[in-house]
Amino acid sequence: MLLRWLVAVLLCLALPHTVLAATEIEISSPGEQSIPLGLTKFLPDQGVRSDRIADEFDEVLVADLDLSGLFRFVDPQSFLDDADRIGLFSTQVNFPQWRLLGAETLIKGTYHLDGDNLVVEGRLFDVVNRRLLTGRRYVGQSKDVRRMAHAFADLILKELTGEEGPFSSRIAYISNQTGDKELWLMDVDGKRPLRLTNHRSIVLNPDFSPRGKEILFTSYRANNPDLYRKEIYTGKEAKLSYKPGLNVAGRMSPDEREVALTLSKDGNPEIYLISTSGRIRKRITENWGIDSDPSWSPDGEKITFVSNRQGNPHLFIADIFTGKTVRLTTRGKYNATPAWGPKGDRIAFTRQEGGRFDIYTIKTDGTDERRLTFGPGNSEHPRWSPDGRFIIYSWDKDGNRAIYVMRADGTGSRRLTSLESDSRHPAWSPRW
Amino acid sequence: MSVVPLRQINDFHKDPKFGRLLLVSLVVHGLIWAAFAGDWFGYSTRPKPPVYYVDLIHKPVLNPQAGRPDPRPSKKPQAAPVKKSVATPVAPKAVTKPEVKPLTKPEVKPLAKPVKTAKSKPVPKPDQRQEKQVQSAIDEIRQRQTREAERDALKDKLAKLRESVGAAATIPADVPVGMPDGTGDEVGVSALAFVQAFIQQNWALSPYLLDQSRLANIEAKAKLVYAADGRLKSFRIENPSGNPQFDDSLKKAIIKSQQLPQPLPKDLELVVIFNLKEMAATRR
Repeated sequence: MLLRWLVAVLLCLALPHTVLAATEIEISSPGEQSIPLGLTKFLPDQGVRSDRIADEFDEVLVADLDLSGLFRFVDPQSFLDDADRIGLFSTQVNFPQWRLLGAETLIKGTYHLDGDNLVVEGRLFDVVNRRLLTGRRYVGQSKDVRRMAHAFADLILKELTGEEGPFSSRIAYISNQTGDKELWLMDVDGKRPLRLTNHRSIVLNPDFSPRGKEILFTSYRANNPDLYRKEIYTGKEAKLSYKPGLNVAGRMSPDEREVALTLSKDGNPEIYLISTSGRIRKRITENWGIDSDPSWSPDGEKITFVSNRQGNPHLFIADIFTGKTVRLTTRGKYNATPAWGPKGDRIAFTRQEGGRFDIYTIKTDGTDERRLTFGPGNSEHPRWSPDGRFIIYSWDKDGNRAIYVMRADGTGSRRLTSLESDSRHPAWSPRW
Repeated sequence: MSVVPLRQINDFHKDPKFGRLLLVSLVVHGLIWAAFAGDWFGYSTRPKPPVYYVDLIHKPVLNPQAGRPDPRPSKKPQAAPVKKSVATPVAPKAVTKPEVKPLTKPEVKPLAKPVKTAKSKPVPKPDQRQEKQVQSAIDEIRQRQTREAERDALKDKLAKLRESVGAAATIPADVPVGMPDGTGDEVGVSALAFVQAFIQQNWALSPYLLDQSRLANIEAKAKLVYAADGRLKSFRIENPSGNPQFDDSLKKAIIKSQQLPQPLPKDLELVVIFNLKEMAATRR
């Protein structure tokens, strides 16, 4: 009995000390808002050493990953001897050395050049947990090194974010490099430009089909703004809509069954839906005002467009099935060129303020409007990357209009096309 | 209701169980006393480090005039030219000219005009000038001496002041100051704040990894147990956010924080709530 008492008393005395009350602390922001990345140059693997291959791969990878905004690159000058060692397996990597340099992730790789045949192997390591995150082998020719680097950048983004990057896709745009406004295609870093049309007229408003096999554009080739479709791989081209008046701003629906466009066959520009053979299926707007620039929602149920039916040009959203139209923007005197984001939650558009166009985004319910560009000159024609991470647009701050890309929050803007010619109306392809 | 007779109450000490109960009572009281009086957990015997009270308003500093727009340094260069003018140009001219001219000229020249030259030019004027110049030089020297004396007096005062606060002036570098819950044996901040800052510093997460619209709502809770030597004994993500990128970044931050750079006052069990409220607010 006495023993029980003693034990009970002792327990009572010891309880507050043995059971430590856990203290709660809150950390409401990370100390570093980027991932420290050690990016080593790829090393030759028993083949011919080619600095060009290693440098070009490194240049493309750095540019892509830098644009993503995810990483802070560990200064290559501080690299220790592990950077010069081939390490495709986690057992071959000196992780403590990279921890010492502050890296959380590490990219290593090799290339094997045999004649013109090129094999590149890239690896992404988790330095903290000392494990391989992902890796891929790319086989091709030496001219494919840029594509390989873009593909590896996409893979890295997929591993770290769960969603593939858009770097392997392409960008269509209108340029007057040849003297006429023609349709061009380039990589997302502005390299490898390729002319697609030779209309020797005015080509404008290109847009990719959702699967990326075709491009829609308007051309004045037949002295009327007609809508064309062009197969990218075969180069085959056909008129899709050539009604009197405007046949502009053609946008293919997500299911590729219909095309929304602006027609002015009856005098006043209105939004219509036409089939892929060009037959009118439905008239979306019927109003005294000018309705133009349609853009599909990702689910294919709504269209946003510009209309001046209530005075100044503003953005509206129309339901395809019910025809119900609601006004989206209320501010500004001139809102134009809407582009519905691939996530479906935001719409990018341009607004003229102070005699200058800038790019904005807004939620589809009309809230949370954000201005993305502030610089001198006009920023126009915004289009989303297929993953919604980036926005591509044209900007004439340096005289000639050029194509620029920025992150969807307006940061990290960089020029893609030369200033020697005028480039505008960019359109980002789906994943290639 | 039963009534206990008074006699029975008074005779309770005759109860055979009384001794046992008394013993238990004494033991319990003794244990309680020992628990509170004795140093069971090593808190009271540990020497409390000295806590210094620092007067931040009248804080003694090693160089009180540092960074102050003091007029004296600007006066120094002004005083220097005066010194030079006294020493070099005025005095030598006043002394040498009258000595050289009367001595050389009468000897070299014939005796035809010695008186005229001596009377007309050098003799009367050098005397007046000399007197004035000597007087001004003396005045300058006196002024300089008074200034130096004042300066010496000020220096003495400063030295006395330094002596009086000297001991205190050297202390602040070692004084544990900072957090209100600091116990005086930590470098600057409380252990909690230190651990919080250390984990936050090791937490790297790009906002581009996450859905921007959900930054404000994402949250995870982790339980961490640190030993007194600063070693992470164990951790567990108690309430994961559900976002793999976010949760992975937390794990990395915790792994990177598995050894604190300095020991803690005692074992520390923490529940850390990770969220992005601040980041979301700054990105709006």
